[in-house]
Amino acid sequence: MIKMPKALVSLISLCLAVRFLGGGQEVPAGTGSTPLKYEIWVELDDQAKILRGREEIVWKNTTSEAVSDMWFHLYWNAFKNEKSALFEESREESLLGIKTEKGGWGWIDLRRIVLADGTDLRPTLEFMTPDEPRHPEDQTVARVRFPAPLQPGEEAHLKIEFESKIPRPVLRTGYYRDSYFIAQWFPKPGVYQEGRGWNCHQYHLNSEFFADFATFIVHITVPARFVVGASGRQVRTVSSQDGKTITTTFVQDRIHDFAWTADPAFIRLERDFIADLEVTPEEYLEVAAKLGLPPESIRLPNIKMILLIRPEHRSQIERHFKALRAAIKYYGLWYGPYPYETITMVDPPFRTESGGMEYPTLFTAGTGIMTDRKVLNPEGVIIHEFGHGYWYGLVANNEFEEAWLDEGINTYSTGKVLAQAYGAGMFSPSVFGFPLAKIFNFPVYYDYELDRLGAILVAERDPITNPSWRFLSRTTYGLNVYQRASACLHTLERLLGENLMLRIMRMFQMRYRFRHPETGDFIAVVNEVSGRDMTWYFDEFFFSTLNFDYGIASFRTNKKKNLARGIFDRNGSKGEITEKDARKPRGEAADRESGEREERQDEMFLTRVVLRRFGEARIGGGFEIRLRVVFEDGTEDFKFWDGQSRWAKFVFERPSPAAVVEIDPERIWLIDSNLANNSRKTKPSRAGIFRLAAKAIFWVQNSLHFLSALS
Amino acid sequence: MEILIALSRGFQTAGKKTRLLLYLWLVYFLFSLFIAAPLCALLEKDFSRSVLGETIFRGSDLLWIGDLLYQYQNLGPSFPFVLFPLAVAFFALHIFLNGGLIGRLAAEKENVRWPGFLRDAGKYFGRFSRVFFLSLFVYALVFGILGRLISAPFNLWMKNAQTGWGIFWASTLRFLIFLLLFSCLKMFFDYVKIRLVVEDSRKALRTSLSTFRFLKAGFFRAWMLFLLVGLVFLAVTGIYLLIAKGFPKSGTGSLFLAPLWEQTFIAARLWITMLFFSSEYHFLKSRLAHFGNRTIEEK
Repeated sequence: MIKMPKALVSLISLCLAVRFLGGGQEVPAGTGSTPLKYEIWVELDDQAKILRGREEIVWKNTTSEAVSDMWFHLYWNAFKNEKSALFEESREESLLGIKTEKGGWGWIDLRRIVLADGTDLRPTLEFMTPDEPRHPEDQTVARVRFPAPLQPGEEAHLKIEFESKIPRPVLRTGYYRDSYFIAQWFPKPGVYQEGRGWNCHQYHLNSEFFADFATFIVHITVPARFVVGASGRQVRTVSSQDGKTITTTFVQDRIHDFAWTADPAFIRLERDFIADLEVTPEEYLEVAAKLGLPPESIRLPNIKMILLIRPEHRSQIERHFKALRAAIKYYGLWYGPYPYETITMVDPPFRTESGGMEYPTLFTAGTGIMTDRKVLNPEGVIIHEFGHGYWYGLVANNEFEEAWLDEGINTYSTGKVLAQAYGAGMFSPSVFGFPLAKIFNFPVYYDYELDRLGAILVAERDPITNPSWRFLSRTTYGLNVYQRASACLHTLERLLGENLMLRIMRMFQMRYRFRHPETGDFIAVVNEVSGRDMTWYFDEFFFSTLNFDYGIASFRTNKKKNLARGIFDRNGSKGEITEKDARKPRGEAADRESGEREERQDEMFLTRVVLRRFGEARIGGGFEIRLRVVFEDGTEDFKFWDGQSRWAKFVFERPSPAAVVEIDPERIWLIDSNLANNSRKTKPSRAGIFRLAAKAIFWVQNSLHFLSALS
Repeated sequence: MEILIALSRGFQTAGKKTRLLLYLWLVYFLFSLFIAAPLCALLEKDFSRSVLGETIFRGSDLLWIGDLLYQYQNLGPSFPFVLFPLAVAFFALHIFLNGGLIGRLAAEKENVRWPGFLRDAGKYFGRFSRVFFLSLFVYALVFGILGRLISAPFNLWMKNAQTGWGIFWASTLRFLIFLLLFSCLKMFFDYVKIRLVVEDSRKALRTSLSTFRFLKAGFFRAWMLFLLVGLVFLAVTGIYLLIAKGFPKSGTGSLFLAPLWEQTFIAARLWITMLFFSSEYHFLKSRLAHFGNRTIEEK
């Protein structure tokens, strides 16, 4: 049995005393104690660009299995040499490969690793390469063996000393001059899963992270001139006796990662999110009605907002806080209250390439020196990265194995919040950092439109649910787990209705807070809340690579012909109706009754519409494709098709010809890869095409004129 | 004063030869139409009878752009193979046009007629082609070697930048210096072409050398004149952008107004091309006359 040192017990008790929940909100299912506790002392050597650290880890075996070893992530070894999985994968991405300058390598060494009783585990340390394809010289995963298996309920107490060389900026970590962004920097145990063992993947180019919820107490020592920001709550800052360094202690319970930043240039600002000022009673009522919850159950807590911003972006301070307030408000109202006391927003240190990344209770935004208000930057990145506090931070899926669960859901959520708080944003190409939106009118768009574009481009490449490192390329990884997953969720919302989708998302968030759900858990929530079996939807769009495209194959509308030629039995004899007879004035061809019938037929129009399923994906679950036909007299008719076969024909007999036929007129199937073939008109309209053609010609003329300067 | 006189005469000459502008605009329009036609055909095929096509009228929309990109994504890799021959064809065409343009501008007292324009275009095509190849060589040499030298301090500046502003200023200044350098070279080859016309010379290399000597004597004046016309271009572009930004985004009015305004701007750009040549021509003429060059007088 391994004993916990007394000092660590007292520190953890202190930490547990820290209030971490907003209080009074819905209590999620996953509120049990965390199996992991960290206390870390780390010192930054600003000259040598080295971190020297000590780490005490308490890991409790909460499974029913005896565990004989412990696996660690040593992420910074991915930057050690070009034999790491990350670099080898990067080389395959010819355009997106990672470059490292001389002296820019990073690494982490475990100098000492012992149990509390002094047993040295260092001799048992070996590097592991669990993932396929193998990268045998990768050193980002290591394991040590316990002298005796850890029995269920027992705790392992480890003391680790490590030294890490900080890399030049790579994958959102590193230093530039005296600016630091420090992420994935400490030896971090994998997640032990019952029946499966340690889930501890190597650091891949296309993947993020996975770890257990833990209590963190971290003491960061830096030269006194630095401003430090970190995950969690800052509890004290102590200056060294000579005044040259300061040590700041951060504490946070129930988070699964810890990142920090240090930069002498940071301006540190604090503001409060005061829920009563941000959310009106009417808004509570409206959202509560949508969610089917009592308004008092969705009340939001107050939160301390901390901003670390660079002086050159001082003019954007209010934009940062406004976006963060919107994010806290809508994520809180829709998906559940933010449960921590603080949120730290970091304007990434210059050239550390650390922008747009999430860590528990801390995220990096990212902006330029010049911005335009029509372009929702930095708003978009602030809302997205804060949102990851929910999807990744609280609902902590395995980003290696099912990245869509946080990236896709959060891209979907970001689009919703951004649209609600700001409306459509404008594209903004820039020249040398100058946003051209200040001069030109660029297209404006909602995020779901962009998501749909990405989705249809990669639908047939990889399934959304692929493990991150097994995508065809970095592009298909990104477009699948972000855009395609989001577009599929938007489609799901359109199928089920906005309110139901809101309830699904909230249920998933609240049920799986502080837990590690998988795709199956999300599907189960969708089925439970919607009351329908939507498994087919996920089979078709998340687990497959099927293109979804229903369209109009053909459409004809014309006068119904008098099909009266041929031999007819009449009064006991056979008589032939010829072409000439058929053309006779109405009523003369036969008896009065049939004449009236023909008259009616002459005035009728037949509209034939053939619908086709051009793609392999098909609808299911009792959902149908809706066909709308608009006739020239202004009337409409609707038909439904289950979409299972390859085609379906519909015939309408009406006194008016059809003007427009359209399937899915409400545009529920956003992921349809060809929306143009969803409708057909009898009369072409070319105004838009003329306008676009004129614009195209204009831009070609301009380009040619610039080119002419060379001749 | 000499610069202003040349500029004023340039304005007069370019103002009088509006038919040249018509020819230029027509050729540009037709060539652009040729390039843009496939896109227009695709739009017509996919959207003219689709309800989605109606959104095109409202402007750029990622839904129809998405459809277009999805359907024609496989064409992407073939773009360079299409663009390169088009660029070569355009350069050839433009060299041809330059002959007609400078030839007719230099024939001050003659009215512009299509046959005369074509005759000059054909007459100078070979000479201007040689100048073009020479200019490509010089551009490659100057920007390839000198460009690296010029870039070196700016790269250092950017490397040592403490904030985004350092990068912005370094990039902008480097761009401006390259632009000014390019303006010098462009001006030089403009004068070579003009001299080839006014001296009716076939010797591109020899004319280049004499132009070099000519510019050595009055480089800054010639350059100021060039930059003044450049300012006219900037002013025209500013006016275009200012008015274009205020155009309505939808409605039938915008359907015709916007293209009309765009073509007006293109015409203005082409007219400024004429202004470059005509003012340079008058500057060259006055300088050569000043130094007693009989070639101009004879012309």
